[in-house]
Amino acid sequence: MKFLIEDVTVYFPYDHIYPEQYSYMIELKRALDAKGHCLLEMPTGTGKTIALLSLITSYSFSRPHTPIKLIYCTRTVHEMEKTLAELTLLHNYQLKHLGPQARILAIGLSSRKNLCVNPTVVASENRDSVDAGCRKLTASWVRAMAAENPDVPTCGFFENYEKAASAAVLPPGVYTLQELRAFGKQKGWCPYFLARHMVQVANVVVYSYQYLLDPKVAGIISKEMQKESVVVFDEAHNIDNVCIEALSVSIRRQTLEGATRNLTRISQEIDGFKATDASKLRAEYNRLVEGLALRGNLPIADNWLSNPALPDDILKEAVPGNIRKAEHFLHVLRRLVQYLSGRLDTENVEKESPVGFVSPISSHAGIDQKTLKFCYDRLHSLMLTLEITDTDEFLHIQTICDFATLVGTYGRGFSIIIEPFDERMPSIPDPILQLSCHDASLAIKPVFERFQSVVITSGTLSPIDLFPRLLDFHPVVSRSFKMSLTRDCICPMVLTRGSDQLPVSTKFDMRSDPGVVRNYGKLLLEMVSVVPDGIVCFFVSYSYMDGIINTWNDTGILKDIMQHKLVFIETQDVVETTLALDNYRRACDCGRGAVFFSVARGKVAEGIDFDRHYGRLVIMFGVPFQYTLSKILLARLEYLRDTFQIKEGDFLTFDALRQAAQCVGRVIRSKADYGMMIFADKRYSRHDKRSKLPSWILSHLQDANLNLSTDMALHIAREFLRKMAQPYDKTGSSDRKTLLSQEDLEKMGNGSMHEMLY
Amino acid sequence: MNNGAGRRINGGVEEEDDEDDVNGDLDAWERTYTDERSWESLQEDESGMLRPIDNQALYHSQYRRRLRSLSSTAARIQKGLIRYLYIVIDLSKAASEMDFRPSRIAVIAKHVEAFIREFFYQNPLSQVGIVTIKDGVANCLTDIGGSPESHINALMKKLECSGDSSLQNALDLVDGYLNQIPSYGHREVLILYSALSTCDPGDIMETIQKCRKSKIRCSVIGLAAEMFICKHLCQETGGTYSVALDESHFKELILEHAPPPPAIAEFAVANLIKMGFPQRAAEGSISICSCHKEAKVGAGYTCPRCKARACELPTECRVCGLTLVSSPHLARSYHHLFPIAPFDEVPSSYLNDPIRKQKINCFGCQQNLLDSGNKAGLAVVCPKCKRYFCLDCDIYIHESLHNCPGCDSFRHSKAATASKD
Repeated sequence: MKFLIEDVTVYFPYDHIYPEQYSYMIELKRALDAKGHCLLEMPTGTGKTIALLSLITSYSFSRPHTPIKLIYCTRTVHEMEKTLAELTLLHNYQLKHLGPQARILAIGLSSRKNLCVNPTVVASENRDSVDAGCRKLTASWVRAMAAENPDVPTCGFFENYEKAASAAVLPPGVYTLQELRAFGKQKGWCPYFLARHMVQVANVVVYSYQYLLDPKVAGIISKEMQKESVVVFDEAHNIDNVCIEALSVSIRRQTLEGATRNLTRISQEIDGFKATDASKLRAEYNRLVEGLALRGNLPIADNWLSNPALPDDILKEAVPGNIRKAEHFLHVLRRLVQYLSGRLDTENVEKESPVGFVSPISSHAGIDQKTLKFCYDRLHSLMLTLEITDTDEFLHIQTICDFATLVGTYGRGFSIIIEPFDERMPSIPDPILQLSCHDASLAIKPVFERFQSVVITSGTLSPIDLFPRLLDFHPVVSRSFKMSLTRDCICPMVLTRGSDQLPVSTKFDMRSDPGVVRNYGKLLLEMVSVVPDGIVCFFVSYSYMDGIINTWNDTGILKDIMQHKLVFIETQDVVETTLALDNYRRACDCGRGAVFFSVARGKVAEGIDFDRHYGRLVIMFGVPFQYTLSKILLARLEYLRDTFQIKEGDFLTFDALRQAAQCVGRVIRSKADYGMMIFADKRYSRHDKRSKLPSWILSHLQDANLNLSTDMALHIAREFLRKMAQPYDKTGSSDRKTLLSQEDLEKMGNGSMHEMLY
Repeated sequence: MNNGAGRRINGGVEEEDDEDDVNGDLDAWERTYTDERSWESLQEDESGMLRPIDNQALYHSQYRRRLRSLSSTAARIQKGLIRYLYIVIDLSKAASEMDFRPSRIAVIAKHVEAFIREFFYQNPLSQVGIVTIKDGVANCLTDIGGSPESHINALMKKLECSGDSSLQNALDLVDGYLNQIPSYGHREVLILYSALSTCDPGDIMETIQKCRKSKIRCSVIGLAAEMFICKHLCQETGGTYSVALDESHFKELILEHAPPPPAIAEFAVANLIKMGFPQRAAEGSISICSCHKEAKVGAGYTCPRCKARACELPTECRVCGLTLVSSPHLARSYHHLFPIAPFDEVPSSYLNDPIRKQKINCFGCQQNLLDSGNKAGLAVVCPKCKRYFCLDCDIYIHESLHNCPGCDSFRHSKAATASKD
């Protein structure tokens, strides 16, 4: 269907549209008109992706003289594939209705692991080794060597791509990763480099957050994107954490040992080079005198590292004299590693600011701040000069240099925390030095500054006023949309009391109370007997989950639960968890029924959907506050309070509630689906906590369901499940229209016109 | 109010039946309210006054809707008239739950009884068997046969619930039985499922595929909530899946399975079936019947081919395997093939039209259509003979009589009506 939103004709590939999609598009369009950033919350399962894609592409068709580029960031490769598949559908529809003018180029960019077609390279198990394998075949010196000696292996795909040079372009169309690989194979061109090249000219680029947020990668990939771009961060409820992680480094003893090994290896290489080819080292020295920015136009295959968010002026500065010579630089690094390992030997927990950390370095190890700042680039340059291809071996020394550069660059927004042991196991020394970033706005700031519109969207962004403060930007539109439903297919409940009418909570002083543990157990036991197929339970932490399951096991509750359903548990081991999930799904499929015990903030809570029968009920045991004694969290809270005037309590509640909403939101992935959500903690009934839940959950949370005990919840669950099992009409009745056709929209358009006229 | 009164009577009867065992742990005051549910027969009108629900109107509108939906789907569909139905009753622990009063199993038993009678009334050529699931094992309670009484008696004796439920065991058992059915018969399973899980010995997906291959149509009525595996089973085998909201809804759902379903395409080829029309044995003659292996005096039918004695019709002769039916059975099946077309509703404005002097009466009961309730849209007209009927007669004609009195009298007295006009 096609319809008008103000002056833009929107081409939408489906015959019907949800009302919330329509209003989402209107808001989005206004944000694009204003060339500003926006923050939009809409529940999952309402077709955010297609609404975004069809509006932005249609918008760019309607303004052919100022074409805008769409940069769509997803969290996982799976989501990327889904987005591209939707885009294919949309593109076909637009081609049919608009003809050749609708032709666009849309590609997905992913790591070599996902795009490589060279069978020998892609066989490696992890991402780093694929990257290294690729470099071994495509680095410029390897190819130069191969030109002389045909025995040196190279990658045929890359050679063909290089030969085709500027002729190597993708014809317009939408390419999923699969199609890109197929195209590459057919033409004999390397799809990865082809994609990286085409990113600059494509109309739509779909890639991962890291390509924009992680300064190490962003510098290479996203450097040349035009300003007239719309950047979309999908599923962005954790974007502040992604930003922070991109700029945080942690160093353990193993890292330092590895770094020492790397340094020895590098010094051997330098000696070897001195004996055979001293001129290369000299050339590098000269280059460094002139400054980093003039590194020269290295072939694209070679620039695999970039500096972490260096201000531009540093790039133009000359490298300090004491690290220009390779040996000197090695000495500096040696001293740094030694100093760090000395710091790790501490007995107490230490917390310092970057400034306070740098000054003893200069007094003890004789390395000043400016030198530290250049470490990362200097290492990069050195490794290129030494023609090192197995970069995956050198990750440790890279971490050290990354750390040094960050410490040298930023004075504010970071802190360095050294902990001699893990708090849970004080007897085992496991020292760790963490450079933790507290300010999410540091990493995302360049994005907001560079691009005309940035769209941050997710199913859970509430409270919506906190995000602009955390990320330090000013959205022109920030709105939260509700879900229009033909029937009340979600049933949130707040359970405050157990079957014996005593309050339940995971508050620190109550959580180990046997009464609370028993009440939680009873709740689950009752629920497994009335809810069919799959139930998902989220606990506040691994240690709490371990504890409560042990107690349930001792008291026999677990055994009773297993009478009704099989029990699966998420562990910290990814393989184990994947296996557990797989079996959980099978148990749900075959009708045996299953319960999955999981942890809020865990892998499962973030990325796994429990839609349809895989999750008919989700129970959130407790409020998933962060571990408030963690040094990093305390430092961050302090920073937030001082810099953004965000109260500690506000941030903690916000963070806990968005995690809870994220967990319970796992069960409902489409409008045809249905599911119940139980928030089992008395604290949820308090208004200040509850009001921070997303509005699409709040609007279904009836007052009657705010203060339930186990037996009342049981009764409501029974009724709800019976009601939902009845057949229903998908389009909704006339007064509660949930699917709009083209005529409906035209009618609405006329109505608003009338309102404007009178 | 009719409904409420009916309920009270029902409830009273039941109370006497099983006062001691099932209802024992309910308090007296609780019992009266759960049975009567007197508050449900009240509703608030626009002005906030309480008044009894107009059950009649509700009932009529429901009926019209059902009729319309039936006629729209079943217009020209060949029906499977010879059905072999297994009723699978879940007697696991979940069936003893008390969310249906007095308990799920009591409700199931009550309505299965009604269903079996209705089934044989509507499908005189068909046969039924009962399978129960208990302690994870499926048992054949009664073999497939045509006598409602024997099934009901057998079922009423075995209503204890325990253990888990196993869908796969039940399906395997039923599949084994139904495989031996002659190809013209329609194989069906109706599962009344209380449990919310199934404890199976093997891969149930394989069993479902097996059922699908042997063309068994599996339908499930759940008593608690929707289960994925049941839905999957019904989708794969072409059955229907429904979940009961309460007792009356359960009754409605189970009775929906009584009229014959559309025939499966493979079986829809016309073929001839060999049947015997046995004679009723002479009063006073003593013989050993082939079904119960007992000597009986009189009452029974003699197979025309092998002269064996059978107690009930329809059945299959135990000795020669001939299908034994009586001619009224065949005749009763006839109306499924040629149902009366649903009557059209007459707009109330047409009835109230002051220009028409003559008052319109119902052709069935001769009541005046306007006086009968002064409600709008209560009259219907037969599309063939154009006679008017009231709704009560409409229901009687479609559900019990299966003949339109208007059309039939028209046929007989064609000449008379012609002269009158």
